[in-house]
Amino acid sequence: MSATQPILQPRMPKSWYKANKPHLFCPGCGHGMVLKALGEAIDELGIQSKTIFGCDIGCSLLAWNFLDVDSTQTHHGRTTPVMVGIKRANPELVTVAYMGDGGGYAIGSQHTVNAAIRNEKITVILVNNTNYGMTGGQMAPTTLPGQRTETTPYGRDPEETGYPTRGPEMIAAIAPEGAYVARGTVANLRQLKGYIKKALENQMAGRGFSFVEALSLCPTNWRTNAKDTWAFLEGKMAQYFPVGELRVPKQKEE
Amino acid sequence: MTTPEKVLTVDVPRGRFNLFTYLCKGCGLCKEKCPKECLIWAEELGAYGTPAVIPDDPQKCIACGICEQVCPDCAILIEKKKVK
Repeated sequence: MSATQPILQPRMPKSWYKANKPHLFCPGCGHGMVLKALGEAIDELGIQSKTIFGCDIGCSLLAWNFLDVDSTQTHHGRTTPVMVGIKRANPELVTVAYMGDGGGYAIGSQHTVNAAIRNEKITVILVNNTNYGMTGGQMAPTTLPGQRTETTPYGRDPEETGYPTRGPEMIAAIAPEGAYVARGTVANLRQLKGYIKKALENQMAGRGFSFVEALSLCPTNWRTNAKDTWAFLEGKMAQYFPVGELRVPKQKEE
Repeated sequence: MTTPEKVLTVDVPRGRFNLFTYLCKGCGLCKEKCPKECLIWAEELGAYGTPAVIPDDPQKCIACGICEQVCPDCAILIEKKKVK
C-alpha cells in the first residue's frame, strides 16, 4: 500500500456531526438508522444550512449533537410547538421535530394533534419503538398487546390499558388538505428515506403538516438478540402498524 | 473509549469490505441481514469492547452493501469494483 493512498473515511451523510461519533445510542438502536435516512434526505435536498432540528425528551434527546445543523431540545412533545414558533417567525427555514412515541403520543399528544389540526407547516418525525427506552423500558401507548415491559411483566392487557395508538392513522383522520402522513420502518431504509424526503418537500412547498412515523428497534429494552430484534420488528410490529403512505397532498399527483 | 482508528479490510471478489472498529458497537444487526450469511464475529474488538464483524469466507461475500445500509453507526464501508 502506498503512502499516497487516501485514508478511508466512513460513508456518513454529510449533514452528520462527525466529532461525536460513535454516537450516544445503544448498540442496535434504530435511531441511528432513522437519522441516517434523515441525514441523507437533508443532503439530497441540500438544505443543511437552513434546517432546524428539534429533539424531544427521552432517547431522542441523545440526538442533540447528532446532526451538523442548528438544534434545540425541549421536553415532553413540546418540540412540536417550538418548531411551529420557529417556522412562523422564519418561514424560509425547514424545521424538523424529532421525537419518540412517548413524547408524541402520550404526554405531548396535545401538541401533535393540535399542530396537525392547524395544519402547521412543519415536519414531525416520530420514532416508534413500543416502549419508553431511556427510563428502562416501561409501557408506552404503542406497546403491543401481550408485550412484556418493565411495567407490564405479564404482557400488556388490552382490557385494562386499551389498544396501542396508531398515530399516523389518527393524524391522517384529523389533518386538513395538504398534509402528508406516512409510516416507514427501519427494515426498509430506502423507503423510509423517500418518505422523509417527501415530508421535507411538502413542508418546503408550504402545503401543510408532514408527519412520518418510523418503526424502530430497541434491543436493550426488548431484551432480544439481533435475530429476535429483526423478527419482532418485521413480524408483530409490522402486522399491527401497517407501513405505507396514508395521506399524500393532491397537488403532488397533478 | 475511542481506540486508534483501525480499519479491518477484506478483499472480496466484487469489491472490498471495510469495517471501522472505533465505530462498531457489536449489535449484530448486519450479521442477521446479510443475504449470504457470511459475517461472523471478528477477533478485533469494537467501540464498547464487543467483537466486530468480518466476512467468514471472502468468496461468499457479494458486496451487496446491505450491511453498510443497516449499520446504525456507519461502521461498514463496502467498496464496489466497477463492472467491466
